[in-house]
Amino acid sequence: MWRSEADASSEADEPLEPDPQLVQHCLQGDGLAWEKLVRLHTRRIYNICYRFTGHRHEAEDLTQETFLRIYGALSKFQPEQGAFTTWMTSVTRNLLIDHHRRTKRDRITDSMEDAPQIETKRAPGRLPDQVALDSELSDQVQRALAKVSPELREAVILRDLQGFEYSEIQKVLGVPEGTVKSRINRGRIELAKRLEEMGIRPA
Amino acid sequence: MRHNWSCEETEAQLTEYLDGTLAASTRAQVEAHVASCAGCASMIANVGGLLRRLARLEPVAEPPNLASAILAATLGPRRGKSDWKAWSGWLRPFSQPRLAYGAVSVMVTVVVLSQALGIHWRAPAIADLNPANLAHVANREAHQVYARGMKVVSDLRLVYEIQTRLQPANETEQTTEPPAAAPPRETIPPDHDSPRRLMNRIDRNFPLPHQASLTTHTPSRRSIG
Repeated sequence: MWRSEADASSEADEPLEPDPQLVQHCLQGDGLAWEKLVRLHTRRIYNICYRFTGHRHEAEDLTQETFLRIYGALSKFQPEQGAFTTWMTSVTRNLLIDHHRRTKRDRITDSMEDAPQIETKRAPGRLPDQVALDSELSDQVQRALAKVSPELREAVILRDLQGFEYSEIQKVLGVPEGTVKSRINRGRIELAKRLEEMGIRPA
Repeated sequence: MRHNWSCEETEAQLTEYLDGTLAASTRAQVEAHVASCAGCASMIANVGGLLRRLARLEPVAEPPNLASAILAATLGPRRGKSDWKAWSGWLRPFSQPRLAYGAVSVMVTVVVLSQALGIHWRAPAIADLNPANLAHVANREAHQVYARGMKVVSDLRLVYEIQTRLQPANETEQTTEPPAAAPPRETIPPDHDSPRRLMNRIDRNFPLPHQASLTTHTPSRRSIG
């Protein structure tokens, strides 16, 4: 299940988990291998950052920062400890948490800068066109996610938007599997409540 | 029936219930609770709807230059591109029509110059590039061009001479028989004739047959001294 969504984010026939040889070539300093790896994963990392922060510019900066850090720490990657994708995601997540702590005080009156049009667009009682539905859904989920605590938010993003398995999330977050399950469960309930508060009923 | 399964317990089991991974006995208890608890039934419907929505969600497109910016920041500028892309990037300006035209005309110039300098593309020889050789060939070519030019000029002079000599002859014949052509009506010194006037005059002096019959009736007047 978790492959399907990630595949849509990258090249049609490229697997999410990079070829071990590609990683190996990167470790040996092969620029072309690194380029391929970056192009393969930019969208995925960007989406994690965007869904977590809710800001496109921040997501862009954080994605860039993530890759810089990954590039600098390539030699620290140990294949026997887990998949490369999981490792990349851990780096991303750590940066996101740092970023969140750094900017926490600025965020008390946080609002979604990138999705203000939804409020005005959604007239009461009007059903959106089927065409605009997906984009609107994306914005609605984004606004609801912003209201969920970061701890639960990251768990839901990794499980339901990135399609990671529990065991992988466990490695990324560094918490026991029971905690992962509990956070995903609470995150989903919380997110559904927020969407309901926004007047969005289950499809 | 009394709730022997709390709302909190239901919440805690929600994901596994929706995933269908609950043990049969636990599942039965959850279902019994949900059947009599509107709040939990609504919550399950909401979370179920949420999961269907999230599964439908497409990834957000990253800014178009993000990957390139990352590559530039890690590998350095331009090194991120493969050779072919670097070359195509270098050639891209030439896809504009005026630049393509400029490039072609430069190439044509180079070819013409190399022809003039006697460099043979089909059988290139190092000797062709010898400066003494180049100077010799260029000198020869220049002399040939000059000689051809001089020949054209002298040919023109010859034609002109013949034509001006013929004109007085026509004039003298005019009294005895009709002229072959109407003499020019203008009195312009021959030295100042423009090529076009010169050609006009040649036409009049050597007319086509039908022109000759027309021009014989026109009165002519000449005052060339």
